[in-house]
Amino acid sequence: MGLRAYVLRRIGQLLLTYFVFLTILFVLFRMMPGDPTSVFILEGLPAEAREERIEELGFNDPLYIQYFDYMRQLMTGEFGDSIIYREPVVNIIWDKVANTLFLMGSSLILAYTIGILGGALMGWYRGTRFEKIGIVGVLTARSSPEFWIGIILLSVFVFWLGWFPAAGMRTVGLDSGEGIWRFLNRDFLWHLFLPMLTGAIFFTATPALLMRNTMLDVLDEDYIEVKEAEGLPERRILYRHAARNSILPVVTVLAIVTGAAMGGSVIIETVFNWDGMGRAIVDAVNRRDLPLAMAAFFIMGSLVIFMNFVADIAYVYLDPRVEYE
Amino acid sequence: MTLLEVENLRTYYTEDDGGLVRAADDVSFSIEPGETLGLVGESGSGKTTIAKSIIRLLADNAEIVDGSITHRGTEITDLSKKALNREIRWSEISMIPQNAMNAFDPVYTVGEQIVEVITVHERGTSTAEAMERARQLFEDLGIDPDRVDDYPHQFSGGMAQRAMIALALALNPSLILADEPTTALDVVIQDRILETIKRMQEEYDSAMILITHDMSVVAETCDRIAVVYGGRIVEIGDAETIIDDPRHPYTLGLRNAFPDITADDQALISIPGTPPDLVDPGEGCRFAPRCPFADEECWEVTPHPVEYEPGHLVECHRADEKAFLQAEAEKRETWLGQEVGDPTADRAPVEEVDD
Repeated sequence: MGLRAYVLRRIGQLLLTYFVFLTILFVLFRMMPGDPTSVFILEGLPAEAREERIEELGFNDPLYIQYFDYMRQLMTGEFGDSIIYREPVVNIIWDKVANTLFLMGSSLILAYTIGILGGALMGWYRGTRFEKIGIVGVLTARSSPEFWIGIILLSVFVFWLGWFPAAGMRTVGLDSGEGIWRFLNRDFLWHLFLPMLTGAIFFTATPALLMRNTMLDVLDEDYIEVKEAEGLPERRILYRHAARNSILPVVTVLAIVTGAAMGGSVIIETVFNWDGMGRAIVDAVNRRDLPLAMAAFFIMGSLVIFMNFVADIAYVYLDPRVEYE
Repeated sequence: MTLLEVENLRTYYTEDDGGLVRAADDVSFSIEPGETLGLVGESGSGKTTIAKSIIRLLADNAEIVDGSITHRGTEITDLSKKALNREIRWSEISMIPQNAMNAFDPVYTVGEQIVEVITVHERGTSTAEAMERARQLFEDLGIDPDRVDDYPHQFSGGMAQRAMIALALALNPSLILADEPTTALDVVIQDRILETIKRMQEEYDSAMILITHDMSVVAETCDRIAVVYGGRIVEIGDAETIIDDPRHPYTLGLRNAFPDITADDQALISIPGTPPDLVDPGEGCRFAPRCPFADEECWEVTPHPVEYEPGHLVECHRADEKAFLQAEAEKRETWLGQEVGDPTADRAPVEEVDD
């Protein structure tokens, strides 16, 4: 009973948040300096054609009509034409989203797996050499700029050992298949490895440190002492009780970081010449390709909101104390 | 055969500045099967340290530096961690902590946690069998068996304490360490929980060490009582002797500080001063600074336990003056009029100030 009402209420909140987000996005893009017509319409059109296009796009309509049109267009996935690519935004954006999803998704999975396990062990083995080395390692990774990590990895694995390609996503001229097989093939994964590792190294610090700190609190709890008194094996207490309780805040952070990672991967994408969202956003903003930028923001924002929703639902399963009120 | 024998136990804590806190300093006692021993003393007297030494659940900065603890002939202090987990912890010695609300892992149901301890210790037992035993235990303790599927936060304080007793009994241990099991509960429930513990302990034929600062709790529950002060057992004997006929001034003082429901006179008298600093306590009786009867010998010579009646050991130089001590200790003036301080060290400067 409680659970269903809780999920429904969360969905309600999700829709409300979404509505607010879309409205802000609309206002933001209408408030940008410069004439919106000049950025939404391709340059070099004759005056009449330009007028026609303005009328067609609805810039002569009252603002509220434009607002409803905008909502309808976003809902139906119509983002307009990209200024840079001179073709509909939808044709190019999903590819970039997929590229970034594969890069950042694999980075985050790797980073959070290692970070959670490593952080749990650092907390458990507090005061030992393992913990000290771990903290120094994690802080070093955290303070290293992504481009620098990328360059180091490139120097070692590409220019010295020659194990991986220097850049790009696919070997030129190689037929990589259709649909999902464009990504799930050896050539793509081979290209993916170094940028993924760069991201993973950068992202590991947050879950590792958070996990360690929460572990230290959890290990002070009475129930951990009771579990020790129960004579349960150490590993069982570590994983099943201490780490299991410490993981809760990490889930929240993961939800937030996932959203940020989608847009924040621009440096890795630049270093490894990866054709993803991060670069697309920077390009779009720099070259005032607002239709593309708006679509990118829309997708990023949607992802953040959705991940927060997922985290809320995951919490119900991870922590029985969450109240469904 | 004696169930548990503690001999000359010394457990020290190392502080950050390198100081040694002698939380248990030369402690000896024994427990027979099925017996209940009360460990009474103020906070910081070392009673919890004694209990935690028995199950080797000490903090990282604490260490058993000397002495022996044997359970049915097995030397606990020598056991490897693995052997300790397998042979002693929970299967032979279990515990009931002070605050049961925090004693269960919040993300598992209480039933799952009882099942966990059963299946880890008894390889052949299936989850279903273990759950059936958990339900049976709940029923014995007067909790609805269906509540095994509830999470700890869904229990009230008293209910959680009962569930904790169920957990403590899950492997039918020979000894239960109950550390202030009723302190976190309100008074009405306290009494019922104590009764429950007592009843279950008899039913399961377990011995118990009951740690408390509450004289009235031990009086009701225990067969024998050990009074702990400054990391040492200053008086130990059967419950009637300690309650009705004690010899140590500290025991007399403790008795004054708790109301006796059967008596008309309800004037409570507290013991002035604070427990001793256990970092390098030096020679002399540790109670001397607060003792209205302390004389020169008390300040200079550490007393050792003397057996006055069979099984009644007292660690006090003046314990032979029983009648005098008991009579004087009842008077309020006795506890007000004393000077707190070491006469050999402090008296001179105090007189200077008076001038």
